[in-house]
Amino acid sequence: MQRLYGRSGLAILEEWFTLIDRLQGGDLDTQLREVNDFFNRRVRWLEDTQIWGTEDYWATPLETMGKRQGDCEDYSIAKYVTLKELGVPGSKLRMIYVRARIGRSQINQAHMVLGYYETPSAVPQVLDNLVPSITPASQRTDLDPVFSFNSEGLWAGGSSQSRADPVARLSRWRSVIERMQQQGFLS
Amino acid sequence: MSLIKQLWLAITTLLLLAFVGSLLIGVTSSRHYIEQEIEIKNIDNANALALSMSQMEKDPVILELLLAAQFDTGHYQRIELRDAEGEIIEQRTAGEHIEDVPAWFVELVRFDVPAGRAVVQNGWQQYGTLELESQHSFAYRSLWRSTLELAGWFALAGAVSLLLASWIVNTIRRPLRNVVSQAQAIGQRRFMMASEPRTRELREVVQAMNQLSYAVRQMLGEESDKLDQLRRRMQHDPVTDTLTRVPFLDQLQAHLNSEKEDASGTLAMVRVARLGELNQHLGHAGTDALLVRVARRLDQLANLYGYGTVGRLNGSDFALILPRHHDLEALGNDLAERLRSLGAELGTVVSLPSALCQYRQGEARGQLLASLDGALASAERQGEFGQVMVDQPAANVLFTRHDEWREALSDALDQGVLLAHYPVLDARGEMIHFEVPSRLRLKEEWRPAGVFLPWISRLAMAPTLDLAVVSAALADVESRGKAVAINLSSDSLSDGHFVGELLSRVRAHQRIADKLWFELPQSAAMQQPQALRTLCHALLGLGCRVGLEHVGTQFGKIEGLQDLGLSFMKIDGALSQEIESRGDQQSLLRGMATLAHSLGIMAIAEGVESQGAADTLFELGLDGVTGPGIREQSTNGG
Repeated sequence: MQRLYGRSGLAILEEWFTLIDRLQGGDLDTQLREVNDFFNRRVRWLEDTQIWGTEDYWATPLETMGKRQGDCEDYSIAKYVTLKELGVPGSKLRMIYVRARIGRSQINQAHMVLGYYETPSAVPQVLDNLVPSITPASQRTDLDPVFSFNSEGLWAGGSSQSRADPVARLSRWRSVIERMQQQGFLS
Repeated sequence: MSLIKQLWLAITTLLLLAFVGSLLIGVTSSRHYIEQEIEIKNIDNANALALSMSQMEKDPVILELLLAAQFDTGHYQRIELRDAEGEIIEQRTAGEHIEDVPAWFVELVRFDVPAGRAVVQNGWQQYGTLELESQHSFAYRSLWRSTLELAGWFALAGAVSLLLASWIVNTIRRPLRNVVSQAQAIGQRRFMMASEPRTRELREVVQAMNQLSYAVRQMLGEESDKLDQLRRRMQHDPVTDTLTRVPFLDQLQAHLNSEKEDASGTLAMVRVARLGELNQHLGHAGTDALLVRVARRLDQLANLYGYGTVGRLNGSDFALILPRHHDLEALGNDLAERLRSLGAELGTVVSLPSALCQYRQGEARGQLLASLDGALASAERQGEFGQVMVDQPAANVLFTRHDEWREALSDALDQGVLLAHYPVLDARGEMIHFEVPSRLRLKEEWRPAGVFLPWISRLAMAPTLDLAVVSAALADVESRGKAVAINLSSDSLSDGHFVGELLSRVRAHQRIADKLWFELPQSAAMQQPQALRTLCHALLGLGCRVGLEHVGTQFGKIEGLQDLGLSFMKIDGALSQEIESRGDQQSLLRGMATLAHSLGIMAIAEGVESQGAADTLFELGLDGVTGPGIREQSTNGG
């Protein structure tokens, strides 16, 4: 970590470990709030092209923390992984593609947030990097949900491990999951 | 297990391993590939369908139509939409359509593909879970097809490899078989040379064995040379290199006792008259030179007529045995002619009178020599090249003309031959085999072979007689069950028809083949080694034994002796005359027996005249004896 991202990289990782230790076994609302705040405060929003020099790169939490930069899906992935680390069941967390109207302008932008579903049919709590607080989705009139996913379907068929297929790299989502596993997350 | 079998086993195992292995790998990797493709398709289609449904109004009819449209136009085994609580909202399933694929194969490869799963959104909320499985029955069929194809190709490749392998095995086996047969031949003391195979290991073995054969051949040559030198020193006149008196007379006696072609012929004597005067006139060296020239002239004659022997009976007298030749007139003229031309060459006044007579089997040697001596004395009185022929007592001649002989012999052969039985015994007095010389009924009497054999060979009837003897001998062995030694003549050896007939008759009596011993004169081996070799190998293959008779000290010089596979040899009677009292002769026979044994050949002495001589011969290492002095123990009374 230090080799790749220097002192600041190491520092944020240590903070993240402290956060995990502190929130472990804690109350769910606190967990959601603290995790949301941790990434929203420490990671600066930038376009992928500016950070990675490529269109739409899905970074792992380690990369996001190391760079202290990320775009919407990088926030969502980092929060998703952190919450799973804290023992929140994966089936209750879904990444949601949304259409966002930013500010008062009528500009629509493709955006991604993390939703927490208390039950499968419930209205989710939205963890967004554009808005500091966690709000139920019904209050977020600026967002139109389009589609959601999580890693549940990937591991269907009994195996708890993503299959180490070369084809997994062809899908962005599966690719980032692979890389996270290599870096020691999602174990 | 034979080496070749092991080789085949190894090749087959390797081929099977390679083919089964690649078949397994091929099927497994195809199966894996198909599974992966179907899994990706499941995931992608589930997400695509869920995405469309998320955008739709959540009207049950619309959702059902959407699901049905996807199911009916696509290739699916199952599409299921469950609500958030897991209750089925909509479901379409189809069975597996696995045709013309054997059940065991399906069971064996059975794809394990997880269903694709995606969540349908209704606004922020989850509407339900979509699960989807693609139809993959076709994959079994194509996998089965490709497996069959692969197996077919492998079968083809296997067949080609096996053909190739059989070619390789053959190229290994042929030299291997040769090596084995050479080794077996050496085991039977037949030291043959083999051509070197190309395989390196085999070549080394063959080289080693060839070296052994070569060494044996060398040894044979050297030993035989030594024996021959020994014999020459003992038996030859140092001045003229002809036989001295005693061995010459032994030879004559052997002929007179013989039952073979040599039993009758012509005996001639030549005298260098007034040797004392010549000696004074020419000096010692000059006289010696003269004697040598006379001896060489007689040698020429002996070689010309064949089977001849020249001896120096005393200082001035030479003698010449020409077996098988009975025309005194012609021989006499030829001899006189040669002596005259020699006289002319010499230039000095030299007198070379000569005398000739015929000898016949059973005649007394002393009487024969005395009458010839008398004739020579009268020839000497006739002049420088005087010649006297001793008249034959007419009673001794059966027939005089060729056509008479021919007719009489054909008739006699038609009547059949009678076989005499002379035992050949080993050191313990046990029977080795019977010698069975033939008897023919001529002029109302059974005549011994010595009487008619010269005519048989002169009239080229030898193959006919030999075949008659073979038939009689086969019948004899069948009835008596005792082994016999059958004589074959040199003339028969070169007769292709005879050889074929002989082999087929022996083959017809395969059961008693081990009781058949065939013997040929040593001269046949010297003159027709190739024909002898062919016959030997054929007869040995049938289980018979083959040997040589009348063998002299030169037998080691017989071409390819070490590889003929001879079982026995009978040493010429001339070599064993009065053996008890002759030390030099004993060492000669000992040497011959040792040499024969080194080749696995049994040594038998011919013409043994007494039990005492037989005992001496056994002490010298001979394995068997035969002759006038040898009687079967039962008739002997002990």
